[in-house]
Amino acid sequence: MIEGWFKKLFGKEKSKESAKKRLKLALVYDKLEVSDELISKLQQDIVDVISKYFIVDKEAIKLDIKRSDNFSSLTLNTPILSARRSPSA
Amino acid sequence: MEGKIIVITSGKGGVGKTTATASIGAALALEGKKVAVVDMDIGLRNLDVVMGLENRIVFNIVDAVNGKCQTQQAAIKDRKIDNLFLIPASQSDNKNVITPAAMKKFCVLLRKEFDFVLLDCPAGIEQGFENSVIGADQAIVICTPEVSSVRDADRVIGLLYAKSVQPKLLVNRIVPEMVERGDMLSHEDVVDVLSIDLIGLVPMDESVIVSTNTGAHLIQNNKSKAGQAFRRVALRLNGNADLPIEVPQAKKGFWKKIGFGLSRNK
Repeated sequence: MIEGWFKKLFGKEKSKESAKKRLKLALVYDKLEVSDELISKLQQDIVDVISKYFIVDKEAIKLDIKRSDNFSSLTLNTPILSARRSPSA
Repeated sequence: MEGKIIVITSGKGGVGKTTATASIGAALALEGKKVAVVDMDIGLRNLDVVMGLENRIVFNIVDAVNGKCQTQQAAIKDRKIDNLFLIPASQSDNKNVITPAAMKKFCVLLRKEFDFVLLDCPAGIEQGFENSVIGADQAIVICTPEVSSVRDADRVIGLLYAKSVQPKLLVNRIVPEMVERGDMLSHEDVVDVLSIDLIGLVPMDESVIVSTNTGAHLIQNNKSKAGQAFRRVALRLNGNADLPIEVPQAKKGFWKKIGFGLSRNK
């Protein structure tokens, strides 16, 4: 009984609270996970769009997904060789 | 009228899919519906032993799907409940001997023959899952109030939505005493995490093991709380969608009632 009061006094959380927190986080991370196949498809599509307006070095393009605690971001780095003067349709 | 096909799935193994299939199927049959329960776990069949029909198997689902026998030949009549039939899995084949396309065709036949068809989906999300979901009208997702089970349920719910099958949630093996002292996720917690409608709450119950020991029907044991909870799930499926969902309650002993039980609440 005294142990129970101690727990209440010092606010030790119930095990189900940590279960719920961990679950919610796990589900968020699970949904952020993407397969390599999807990344390479996305990269191909982006290259196709950019190539309509710019001549780029297709080999040097790098697509990255970065994750931090508060947000995740998609970064694309590509060297531009030149702009297309008359963008192809 | 065409029958309804309901897939019972969970992602994670060992959460009670087979027990739920047998119990809900039996309860629907007692309501006067013609019911088939189908074991989709090819290579690891179990629904037959849970129902006490393991000695009567002649044909199985692989035979029926691949046209080696008629649907009626593969459907074993239950020993105790009229209108209840089991289509067993094959024990010797590989899960991939049935294709989703063949299963979809088979579901058309099942729909004509039965009022309700319950598909007991294997654990996992591979072809056995695909086969079970392809012809289904709706799904019951089973999870226990544990982190691993809820996570897998979330994954399966996502896959079901992607296939346009409406899922409802059944939380199994609730231990009310643990929920009360904060050591088990409550059904509200689970619903909050998964954001999905409930179809039933089933308490942890020793009589589940006792009835599987003998191959008896859990729902015919009037004292079994789990059995009665499964029966109410069946009633909800069978037109009584608004039947209130009862939350499993902790037993209150005399000392607990007047407050002395606190010392055990560590």
